[in-house]
Amino acid sequence: MTVAQTPTRPSESRTSSSLLLDPGFMARLDQLDVMSRKMLAGKMKGERRSKRRGQSVEFADYRNYVIGDDLRFIDWNVYARLEKLFLKLFLEEEDLSLYVLVDVSKSCDYGDPPKALYMKRVAAALGYIGLVNYNRVHVSAMADGIVAETGAMRGRRRVAHMIDFVSRLTPTGTSNLADACRRFALSHRQKGVCVVLSDFFDKGGYENGLRYVSGGKYDLFVVQVLSPQEIDPASTLQGDLKLRDMEDDDMAEVSVTQPLIKQYKANLNAYCLALKDYVTRRGGTYLFTSTAVPFDTLVLNYLRERGLLG
Amino acid sequence: MNWIPRFTNWQMGALAASIVVPSLLILYFLKLRRREQVVPSTLLWRKAIQDLQVNAPFQKLRRNLLLLLQMLLLLLLVLALSRPVANYYQGAGKMTAILIDRSASMSARDSQGGRTRLQEAKRRAHELVDSMKRGSTAMVIAFDDSAETVQPFTTDTAAIRRAIDSVEATDRRSSLKMAYQLADAQLMFIPEQNRTNIDPPDIHVYSDGRVKDDDELTVQGKVTFEKIGTENAGNVGIVALNAKRNYERPTEVQVFARLANFGAEPVETFVHLTVDGEKVDLADSKSRGLYLLPERWNDEQRTKWEQENGRGHSPSVDIPMELTTSAVIRVEHTNKDKDVLAADDVAQVVVPPPKTLSVLLVTDGGNYFLEKLVMESLTLKNPASLTPEAYEGKAKGGDFNYDVVIFDRYTPETLPPAGNFVYFKALPKGLKVKAPVSDAGAFELIEDVGVLDWKRDHPILRHLAMQKLYVAEAIKLEGAAEHSEVLLDGLKCPLIVLHREGKSVHLIVAFDLLMSNWPLKVSFPIFMHNALQFLAVGSAMDVRQSLEPGATPRIPRSNALEGIKQATLTGPKGFGSRTLPVPPGGDFALPPLTHVGLYSLDPPIAQHEKMAVNLLDNNESNILPSDHAPGGLGEVREADQGRSRMELWWWVVACAALPLLMIEWWVYTRRVHL
Repeated sequence: MTVAQTPTRPSESRTSSSLLLDPGFMARLDQLDVMSRKMLAGKMKGERRSKRRGQSVEFADYRNYVIGDDLRFIDWNVYARLEKLFLKLFLEEEDLSLYVLVDVSKSCDYGDPPKALYMKRVAAALGYIGLVNYNRVHVSAMADGIVAETGAMRGRRRVAHMIDFVSRLTPTGTSNLADACRRFALSHRQKGVCVVLSDFFDKGGYENGLRYVSGGKYDLFVVQVLSPQEIDPASTLQGDLKLRDMEDDDMAEVSVTQPLIKQYKANLNAYCLALKDYVTRRGGTYLFTSTAVPFDTLVLNYLRERGLLG
Repeated sequence: MNWIPRFTNWQMGALAASIVVPSLLILYFLKLRRREQVVPSTLLWRKAIQDLQVNAPFQKLRRNLLLLLQMLLLLLLVLALSRPVANYYQGAGKMTAILIDRSASMSARDSQGGRTRLQEAKRRAHELVDSMKRGSTAMVIAFDDSAETVQPFTTDTAAIRRAIDSVEATDRRSSLKMAYQLADAQLMFIPEQNRTNIDPPDIHVYSDGRVKDDDELTVQGKVTFEKIGTENAGNVGIVALNAKRNYERPTEVQVFARLANFGAEPVETFVHLTVDGEKVDLADSKSRGLYLLPERWNDEQRTKWEQENGRGHSPSVDIPMELTTSAVIRVEHTNKDKDVLAADDVAQVVVPPPKTLSVLLVTDGGNYFLEKLVMESLTLKNPASLTPEAYEGKAKGGDFNYDVVIFDRYTPETLPPAGNFVYFKALPKGLKVKAPVSDAGAFELIEDVGVLDWKRDHPILRHLAMQKLYVAEAIKLEGAAEHSEVLLDGLKCPLIVLHREGKSVHLIVAFDLLMSNWPLKVSFPIFMHNALQFLAVGSAMDVRQSLEPGATPRIPRSNALEGIKQATLTGPKGFGSRTLPVPPGGDFALPPLTHVGLYSLDPPIAQHEKMAVNLLDNNESNILPSDHAPGGLGEVREADQGRSRMELWWWVVACAALPLLMIEWWVYTRRVHL
């Protein structure tokens, strides 16, 4: 596992943070927290419900009083009714691990605005939310495997570092989702929320990668980001073209016609649906977005609607 | 064999190449300039192309569209190679004889494109050669009233084509008999033709069918009459020309010409007469304008036209003229508009000058009347008189140049080989007209012979009153009636006989002048004058009749050829000028005078200084093509609008194969999907 630690440069981090997230938006992010549909065990006491029974203000259950229990948790109302002693149980509050995997393959450098920038902004926003809520945040850049990642970060003071890390990510290499997710899963055994930001155009297939992060260990959120030019290529691709793949320089000679565009869109639609189906069947959450969607709308609205943020 | 191909339509090939080649190059370069476009991934694009191909309707057909187009292109090229033709006929067989008519009528310019019939015949003959299969043979015969093998049987098509091109037009008449005989003779040399199971050879006759021996033709081969010529062409031709000196007035020449219209419409024309190139003013209104109705009209049509137009059909002109010198009389009609044949528009005759006669009188003397008449009264050029002995000496010496020799009571032992002779009570030996001789060598005589009758219309006896002639005694002539022309018949025997034998003319007066009352009659001197003129005019003074095209005049060996080793014969355009050697002995034969016009010899040879050749043939001037094969042999084949068949292969290539190639290339480069 490669851990790339980007040195903190305060002045640069302040500059990069303003590029990715402006202060006004960050203020709005303070109201949000990363949500998880699953009760996931944390290492430390955090602002998160845990399935474990512990001391918190949130009532969970009753049990019979046994000698030695803390009398403070006896529910006297129940005793008055039943003349039996019952002990209140409360949910233990633990910290949440947030894993953000950002696709930095070359294909993400496509689009206007580039997908990479968009994904970095979303990753920065999620990281910020996680850090300000004292969650354990991990940001990993994936392309042909994990090309860079932060260590575990916690607390507001790590925001600048996180943002700086994200801002320095540049698209490079080919997509190898399988390798990246496998390495990620091996190096991050703590359960948590896993957000994968990618276009998922992996010629090796996304299934091979996502199977490592789907299942019970992570609360998987898949965000597929595409550019408008990819969604509707008719405006940019016309005539007889030699299409060159940005990642592997594969060439495809096409004569762009209406039937071809129509078929492409149908295939894209089917691909995205298949991805959604795959993720959903494995208990994950799928979200499709375009870089045309304002990124703040995505974060403040769509991610909240999907239950990633709350 | 010439391996270099002949491109008969290179212009069309160049035009097609100028369109197709740049188009293909443009498409090729457009194909190369496919714009490169970067995409994040070709994953979905490849799938889209694949799905498009899989999901499209008629997928098998679309997948095989290129194959389909290429197959079509291949089929079209194969079709073009098979040389499809329209109006197809079988073309040349294994053995073909090509007979090309080069007679006068084939010079008519009434074929498509302004071609003459001969040019059209050559063009169609070339087409026939083009259709020859490999290994087949052909020969070329050119014919008019003679026939000539231009190319014997050969498989060399280039030689056959050269032979066809070498056939030149003549002004001669048409005769197919010799051409057919020549073709049959050529076939005799081929052993295959003797087998019964071999198909007869094909004989293609390229002609307008105006042959003079239509009913005498036989041939072995399978004849196809390739009819040349159109039916609406017009031609007015001179079909007869005669010029004669008036015997009574030798300085007067009578010219008679008859024209005929062989077109489809009436024609008005004028006759133009020149003498030695100078136009003669024809004051006679008859010769100003001739109205010629078509020869092909029947009487009803003629009558109707004459009634409607108030004028009659006037095809002939008769022109008297004074001509004291020699001259060439040229008759020409002037309306050449829509006249397709020029050879019969002009006719010429050569007129020698009238000359004073040189006469020799052979007499022992004592015939005052005859001597006075010959030596003094008649206007003769250097009349001479010789005794019989002197004559014999002179005759044997060969130095003899008299127009007429008069033998008075003397039978010559030696006669020149040719000449004009008058005998009074004399008859040379060796003639078919004989006179019995007694043992003593004297003629048997008949006494008291009066006149029975005479030929009143004969030039010698015209306007003579002979009934009061009395002959005391006359030679009994035998065989006169059978071999001669009896001019004056006596009660008991012929008295004056005109006998022609060999090259001589003998005027035999069977009696002694002094034994008759004739010298005292007015008719005697007139008779003598007429006789001398007649004999001289008939031999040298008469208008020389024109020769027909193809004639080979023979100049008899005489003093005229003495000392001449070669002579230059100059003819009209088409014949040119040729230097001919004069043989040391025998007659001097000239080559065939193939073209209409005036021929001259240099140095001039007496009686042949100038010779006129005229067509003067109804059959050749009649340019209406025959509607049946000559002699009824074979089938008739006509040109289809100037072409007997149309090659379609280039249409297939130009209009189908080339555009298909372009479409196939476009589909390949554009990845067209249905």
